[in-house]
Amino acid sequence: MLLAAVVAGCGGGSGKSTRLVVSAASSMTEALESCAPKFGDAENADVRLSFAGSDELAAQIRQGAKVDVYAAANTRIPDELHADDLLSTPVEFATNEFVLAVPKDSDIGSVEDLTKDGTKLVIGSESVPIGTYTRETLAKLPPDQEEAILANVRSNEPDVKGIIGKLTQGAADAGFVYVTDVNPTGGDLKAITLAKDLEPNVTYGAGVVKQAEQPELAKKFVEDLTEGDCALALADAGFGRAP
Amino acid sequence: MLRVEARHALGDLPLDVVLRVEPGECLALAGPSGAGKTSILRVAAGLLRPERGLVEANGETWLDTERGIDVPAECRRCGYVFQHYALFPHLSAWQNVAYPLRRLPRADRRARALALLDRFGLADRADARPPTLSGGERQRVAVARALARDPDVLLLDEPLSALDASTRAAAARELGGVLGASDAPTVLVTHDFAEAAQLGDRVGIVDQGRVVQLGTASDLAAAPRSAFVADFTGAVVLTGIARSGDDGLTHVELDGGGTVTTTEHGHGAVAVSIYPWEITIEPPGDEAHGSVQNHLAVEVLSITTVGNRVRLGLSGPQPLVAEITQTSAERLGLHAGAKVTATWKAAATRLVAT
Amino acid sequence: MTRPGWFSALLGVCLAAALTFLTLPVVAIFVDSSPGDLIASLGEPGALDALWLSLRTTAAAIAIILLVGTPAAYLLATRSFRGKAAVVTLIELPLVLPPAVAGIALLAAVGPSGILGGAIEAAGIELSLTTAGVVVALTFVASPFYVRQAMASFAAVDRTLLDASRTLGASEAHGFLRVMIPLAMPGLAAGTALALGRALGEFGATLMFAGSFQGITQTVPLAIYDRFSTDFDSALALSAVLVAVSAAILLSVKLVRGGEALGVVAR
Repeated sequence: MLLAAVVAGCGGGSGKSTRLVVSAASSMTEALESCAPKFGDAENADVRLSFAGSDELAAQIRQGAKVDVYAAANTRIPDELHADDLLSTPVEFATNEFVLAVPKDSDIGSVEDLTKDGTKLVIGSESVPIGTYTRETLAKLPPDQEEAILANVRSNEPDVKGIIGKLTQGAADAGFVYVTDVNPTGGDLKAITLAKDLEPNVTYGAGVVKQAEQPELAKKFVEDLTEGDCALALADAGFGRAP
Repeated sequence: MLRVEARHALGDLPLDVVLRVEPGECLALAGPSGAGKTSILRVAAGLLRPERGLVEANGETWLDTERGIDVPAECRRCGYVFQHYALFPHLSAWQNVAYPLRRLPRADRRARALALLDRFGLADRADARPPTLSGGERQRVAVARALARDPDVLLLDEPLSALDASTRAAAARELGGVLGASDAPTVLVTHDFAEAAQLGDRVGIVDQGRVVQLGTASDLAAAPRSAFVADFTGAVVLTGIARSGDDGLTHVELDGGGTVTTTEHGHGAVAVSIYPWEITIEPPGDEAHGSVQNHLAVEVLSITTVGNRVRLGLSGPQPLVAEITQTSAERLGLHAGAKVTATWKAAATRLVAT
Repeated sequence: MTRPGWFSALLGVCLAAALTFLTLPVVAIFVDSSPGDLIASLGEPGALDALWLSLRTTAAAIAIILLVGTPAAYLLATRSFRGKAAVVTLIELPLVLPPAVAGIALLAAVGPSGILGGAIEAAGIELSLTTAGVVVALTFVASPFYVRQAMASFAAVDRTLLDASRTLGASEAHGFLRVMIPLAMPGLAAGTALALGRALGEFGATLMFAGSFQGITQTVPLAIYDRFSTDFDSALALSAVLVAVSAAILLSVKLVRGGEALGVVAR
């Protein structure tokens, strides 16, 4: 009991009165880490950010995790949560560009180059948004191309940071990520834009978790994502404005 | 023939020995613990490499630091009995004895091991593991194992000290028989002079890393070269100042009081050595007998029966130990606190260097 | 003198608390889903692939650890040399490294951009994103568990026995195989069980270093992670299997050594 008190005591270091728990897709890590403290200061709240694949965060909410705001890298998962009465009506707050990332001195210049034998491709797992966008995109290709590219997949990462990591380490030749993930690598990776007809519609959705402890504050945070400081931070990071 | 020479600094102890043991001979090294006796065995066996040393056995050079020869322990044909036997607890008695017989085919190994165990009366314990054997049985297995491959040299480290008193006597006799039957030069190490005297053909007294006197047990007892040797061989040692007398005898004024006379010659600070069995006990006041005798007034501190003799701890100006017959003790009606006179001949009073 | 009643009660309470904390999550795995669902989930090919991969890679890692670690532990236990304390600390280091750090360390050392990366590539060996990479990660995180225990077990064997072995004509290698190892066996078995458990459960370093791909690098822990957001039942089923396998291993080690296995030194 003493131990629990110590642990709990050590946890709330900031001394602010309220705490806001935000679960957000890992592609938003850099942007939200810069804007959340400002929101917290303005609202006198301690904003707790938790980044992982959108699917994993949704699963935690389903299992009853105490989260106030949920922000995903697609709209499908928030819609599913809403359908299960776990999330308020989701709001589309940003868009992102789905790109092919390669090491800066790579020979690969297009998606078609990925069909070459021996290319090491890393993509997201089936349940994480980056993974579903990837499979959706590849499905638009002629079947033999899709097959050849999928045969070159060497790892199904649980989140986008894992894909970036494999690329920057030189373990993989190419990976499908968001353009906002390529930017922070400081030039180690370059992003190859996809053809317009291949490009998936990457829209980010967010909502207030029904079981939220701070529903009013959560609503304000979602608004901040759409129109406030966080919206600016996202734009700075390379995200697109909400449709 | 075994030759061991070693010079080595063992911590604070400067080991410096030169030994030679003939085939079939047993040299017993006796001395207090920490004197370096076990290290001598380890040098011979190859378990300790001295700074400078030489070990020759059976015509082979096992160690010669000057010529850079150092045959590893496993290549020296030594039979080593460790102080606590070092039997392999996970192997049965016969497997322990058969351990050095790896070169033989399996059937021969077991047969030979069983034969050896039988010689020691342990045939029925062949399959038992060491933890289930008694102390005496383990000692015999250890000796059998050391003998298994007919070693060139036998090394025994306190082979009897781990045994309880009742087993020790029988084990000592048995070991004596084994050593007598063996051709290999043997070095035996013990802290008990009586054991050394019983088992060794020659005895070397080891003190502070050196062999201070070497000879037969009776030589050492009869003519100890120093107070240490005298004391170690079981003598009573008294200290005092000696001066020559007009009667041609030497008179020693003992520290603490009393005077004794000796036929030996000495001057200045000396130690006087007498053996307990040379001392007789008489009621106080009884003096004047034939040859020159020494008398000391003492008080009985302790009375211990050893076999059919009685050991008396006596307190006087300096402590003494006397050994008399049971009959004498009864006749005198001795008890703790009794005041008596200890008497012995001047001729039996030896002067030794302090 | 009898123990005061309150002290015994306190001991009992602590034990009960510890037991509950440790067993409840394990029990919950089996209780949260019906046996029928569990078995059905296991039948799915991804699950079987993960199980087979976990067993293969763990077996390979343990084999390497035993072959290389045993003589190394023997050396450390029986010889002293300059810098020995530093060497021992280095060997124990992976024990205290969080798996993520272990992953980073492996990447920095033998990853494609790592110190030895170029040499490894030149030798035609591929570690990243391969099953071999999984074995490397498992070996790295699990070896200290074995080596540390093996060192302690060897050091506890009476050195006089080795001296005796040498005086009886056996080379040091023979003494190592026929005296040291049999006498250290309970400790070695315990160390192996610990290393096995650690290797089976390894996740972070594997994910970072070898990636996650069904049949190649997706071990059971990675498969559980992959499924937990979409198919919780499947994740439960795999977890149950991992628990059962680990329990079976621990139990068999204990039974084989007759209760001497857990940390008790050979007598």
